[in-house]
Amino acid sequence: MTRSGWLFHPILILIFSILALGTSLFLYIYWYIEASTGLKSLVKRFNIDAGQVLESQTWVVILVLSILVGIIFMGIFIIFVYNVKTLQLYRLQHNFINSFTHELKTPVTALKLYLETFAKHELSREDQLKYIQYMLYDTGRLSDDINRILNLAQIESKSYGGELETHHLENAINRFLKNNSRYFQHCRISVSNPAGNAYLYLINPSLFNMLLMNILTNAVKYNNSKLPEIEISFEEKGKKLYISFKDNGIGIDKTEKKKIFKKFYQVGSSDDMSARGSGLGLYLVEHIARIHKGRIMMDSPGLGKGSTFTLILPLKYSL
Amino acid sequence: MNDSIKKRILVIEDEKHIAEGLKLNLSLQGYDVTVAENGNTGLKTWKSWQPDLIVLDIMLPGIDGLSVLRSIRLEDERIPILILSAKAETDYKVKGLAYGVDDYLTKPFSLEEFLLRVDRLLTRLSWYEENGMGNAGDGRGQNIHTFGDNRIDFSTLIAHGPQGEIQLTDQEAKLLKLFVTNPGKPLSRQKLLEIGWGYTRGTTTRTVDNFIVRFRKYFEKNPKKPVHFRSLRSIGYVFYSNPETR
Repeated sequence: MTRSGWLFHPILILIFSILALGTSLFLYIYWYIEASTGLKSLVKRFNIDAGQVLESQTWVVILVLSILVGIIFMGIFIIFVYNVKTLQLYRLQHNFINSFTHELKTPVTALKLYLETFAKHELSREDQLKYIQYMLYDTGRLSDDINRILNLAQIESKSYGGELETHHLENAINRFLKNNSRYFQHCRISVSNPAGNAYLYLINPSLFNMLLMNILTNAVKYNNSKLPEIEISFEEKGKKLYISFKDNGIGIDKTEKKKIFKKFYQVGSSDDMSARGSGLGLYLVEHIARIHKGRIMMDSPGLGKGSTFTLILPLKYSL
Repeated sequence: MNDSIKKRILVIEDEKHIAEGLKLNLSLQGYDVTVAENGNTGLKTWKSWQPDLIVLDIMLPGIDGLSVLRSIRLEDERIPILILSAKAETDYKVKGLAYGVDDYLTKPFSLEEFLLRVDRLLTRLSWYEENGMGNAGDGRGQNIHTFGDNRIDFSTLIAHGPQGEIQLTDQEAKLLKLFVTNPGKPLSRQKLLEIGWGYTRGTTTRTVDNFIVRFRKYFEKNPKKPVHFRSLRSIGYVFYSNPETR
């Protein structure tokens, strides 16, 4: 594949430049010593005052040269790392464009299909309403997709986070579930708070809802069970509050665990068409958690065994 | 349509709204339509319901559409299959056509165009049937395959190997066909499972190994040193028709 060729090329260049740099350092020192010994013998032969020649500075010169070469080496290395990272991002972005177009095309296809059907056939009012509902849903889906891209830009520019309000977290989650019940019609979601404490936090409601939406729809989307189940529970551990979202979905392989929060990353690959979605959801989730001074963790016993997302916030009690 | 029985169309599509829209339109055109929302149930419905045409999406949960296509083509060369996919790149079209799809439409598509193409595919099918070339569904035809000193007749499922005559099971024949139609191409255990059995991920791949052991017993002169059914470490298996010339 040409792709692996891409990767090896910069590594080879790095190795060559380091070798060249090392050799040049060696040669600088070698020639310097050679020249200075030559000078020394001249000094001896012609009985010139040794103090006039730079004799005592040999080690200083070597030191300065080494430091300079060290700096150049660091520079090359940083450029190399930067280059590799850009390449990675480029590849992920390519993936993203591939699958996000699919994500956008699906609602457009459905909309077009129904509109053309309406133009072609005289449907009963009842049917019309049913399909209009579908179309509204698809328009919603389309605008959600567009919003996700816009939100991403906003969150990344860090202009967000200003509009914080104090909310009771458990209530906020319950309210979210109630308002968005249409997304979770065919699944069971339970919220438990065994300690019974009220957790009042400064949150940005729209961002917090986005976080919930991403975690919960993932749990439903990547789920092959007859009845998708999600258990949301609050737990205090040390000085932290753990809000965990446990699902009975398809789980995730250990090797993928670290990568899922990366921008544009998707489980599966765009080449064998197993990748779905935008690859932005969890990246957003992590950003939102950070804006709320928390972090997000994910754990899964393995493929087919469900997964647990945990939002960890610093512990704060209500007054 | 020239017959009193409605033509049956199976729609394999996981996006509910698109699937329902297709069903609505095809039913209004007078077809009998069933929707399957993933590759697995799609394959099951195809077997039990015996449709006349299949509309297939590529991006499916579980087994992807191309594997569904290959699986169907192993048993039925003739049934018209139309792919409906968001993938517009030539690569995917070529892949689909190479695996034996009859038509390829990219989403979003025009309804009129879709219906006309479906109609055309079904008309062509009915010509074949009038000429007596097809006997509804089973397109196995004259399928005798030889490799080495072995001979497999895919229509009677009888094979001749070093051990004499062997009656093959359906499953064995299907997997064998996958191998002999892809000589020299490495096939992973997972692909073999998906295409041969219609399984999704997470199922044991040991099943495949057991079949390979059986094939080697049937067709290899020395099952311990296979020349036709070779293992590829950490990948799967590869079949060589003429091991000497490769």
